[in-house]
Amino acid sequence: MATDSRNRRFELLAMPHLDAAFNLARWLTGNTTDAEDVVQDAYLRAFRYLDAFRGDNFRVWLLTIVRNSFLDWLRDNRSGRLVFQPAPVESDWIDPTPGAEAMLLERVDSETLAILMAGLPAEYREVLILREIEDMSYKDIAEVTGIPAGTVMSRLSRARLALRKAWIENEKTP
Amino acid sequence: MNHDRAKALLPAYADRQIGAIRRFLLGRHVARCTSCLAELEAIHAMRTAIRTNLPIHRAPPSLAMRIGSALPREAPPVVRPPSFARFGWAGSAMAGGLAGVVLTLAVTRLTPPPDPLVADVIADHVRSMMGEHLMDVPTSDQHTVKPWLSARLDLSPVVKDLTPEGYPLVGGRLDYVDGHRAAAIVYRRDKHVINLFAFVSDDRSDAAPARDSRDGFNVIRWRMGGLTYVAVSDVEAAQLMAFVRLVESG
Repeated sequence: MATDSRNRRFELLAMPHLDAAFNLARWLTGNTTDAEDVVQDAYLRAFRYLDAFRGDNFRVWLLTIVRNSFLDWLRDNRSGRLVFQPAPVESDWIDPTPGAEAMLLERVDSETLAILMAGLPAEYREVLILREIEDMSYKDIAEVTGIPAGTVMSRLSRARLALRKAWIENEKTP
Repeated sequence: MNHDRAKALLPAYADRQIGAIRRFLLGRHVARCTSCLAELEAIHAMRTAIRTNLPIHRAPPSLAMRIGSALPREAPPVVRPPSFARFGWAGSAMAGGLAGVVLTLAVTRLTPPPDPLVADVIADHVRSMMGEHLMDVPTSDQHTVKPWLSARLDLSPVVKDLTPEGYPLVGGRLDYVDGHRAAAIVYRRDKHVINLFAFVSDDRSDAAPARDSRDGFNVIRWRMGGLTYVAVSDVEAAQLMAFVRLVESG
């Protein structure tokens, strides 16, 4: 049986990215239990399709599968409740004083930031996590999310604007 | 670079996702433009906030174990039963039984099994349903399954749809049995799965069907036309034998 060497190869490739996979799934699903199910499903799929991995970046390949598992999870468990909906266009919102606010934003506490982040649409959360936490290039973000490479920058811009707006509104209401 | 163009490219500038020349031109503009500079600072501030203050969720240690035990392998070190949620028709009916069987298999491995082939095909049979890899060609068309297998293996096993007899063909896949590359032809009997393995073994003389059973599975093997056939299932022995007779006569 070639199963053992395959298991070994999979462990070497996939297990180092378990935290990244879980963090993404946790931010997408919003809770630990579902995140674990999504990650387990993604890992079993990755194992099954291991031979199809041809790229040079396993993390990108794996997180793409995590995202697909999340979409399946949405379909299976949340039919009727559309979580992954297109975000509203924010173009009419004008940032009052970006310079003054920048310093304060850096000091937002983690509890508040987690709540603000959780309130964003999933399509914003995922690009922020992939860019700021996973430090991925636009090209890799495009691959994981399946959105065109030319759209990544504007998606990220809207995500940042939405987070900034949520933060300012949170500051206004004590 | 004019202001509108620069402003549009600011995120890519902040993310270091533009080439050297545009980066240089943009840098020159930003240095002179208070509005762009403020925007850039806001992006950086948000990045700092996210990187330093956003909670990072680390995978619980139990998750790695849970995944490890759910992965298909020769002697599964089962810690807890894997999720059977995605099994569809085959799994839901046998989920409970399978979990027990895997535990039993892991235990029986501790003492050397008398016949490695029997243990091997049962393990293959169980794994084929656990690993979501029951079929490479999910089709009831014998004229699709047979050439698909023949093209990938140097053998041409009997493949026929036995729907009228109550054993519908559901597909085929490649597998390994006892060190041989094998065709696995998948049939169904009510809610049960029958895996029929076919491979070339050292002994090519014809041999009549012989039955074994272990861990609630029935195993029948025979040789004909230079191929060894092994049928494995948890259907009753008589039903499996009837199935074997149908294949044999074909």
